[in-house]
Amino acid sequence: MEAVKTLDATGLACPMPIVKIKKAIQELSSGDVLEIHATDQGAKSDLAAWAKSGGHELLKDTEEDGVLKFWIQKG
Amino acid sequence: MANTKVAIIAANGSLFDAYKVFNVATAAAASDAEVGIFFTFEGLNLIHKEGHKSLPLPEGKEHFQEGFEKTNVPSIEELVGIAQEMNIKLIACQMTMDVMSLEKGDFVEGIEVGGAASFIDYAKDANMSLTF
Repeated sequence: MEAVKTLDATGLACPMPIVKIKKAIQELSSGDVLEIHATDQGAKSDLAAWAKSGGHELLKDTEEDGVLKFWIQKG
Repeated sequence: MANTKVAIIAANGSLFDAYKVFNVATAAAASDAEVGIFFTFEGLNLIHKEGHKSLPLPEGKEHFQEGFEKTNVPSIEELVGIAQEMNIKLIACQMTMDVMSLEKGDFVEGIEVGGAASFIDYAKDANMSLTF
């Protein structure tokens, strides 16, 4: 699961992580994986919902030292 | 969310109202929805060229200022910029503008001016209609 790009959205509050992810994923090709780092706790549910509504797949998410990490595959 | 249309009425003008409107609008646009906002009465503050940069906190809620700074919430100016970038349709209410002696030039770039019927026409086939 090699990410093509990593987006640092740490320190950003809603709705900025989603807005930044939307921009970042536009530059990728279908099947590419985007890795996202965030600290907004709301990102957990928001990213899952966003991926679902956009036809992308949330492959994995982890939490290390207060940083949430997500891997989304572009649909 | 593509092929989803969201119609929003912004009828209030405090900082809280601005966040409610622009957070939902930009989140919807980031989810590929088509978004239009009709600004009426105090809601016009949210797109007023100068006014939107210094919206007041609701009376008695001034102490939340610190919370906004601490949580690193984007400024309304930033959110308006994002809304424009994402092609969110911003419609200012003609009647309110007339009552308040405001002209198109008093607002941020790229707005449209329309009456209630314009909004109804936009909203008639919307999947979600929200009022703030």
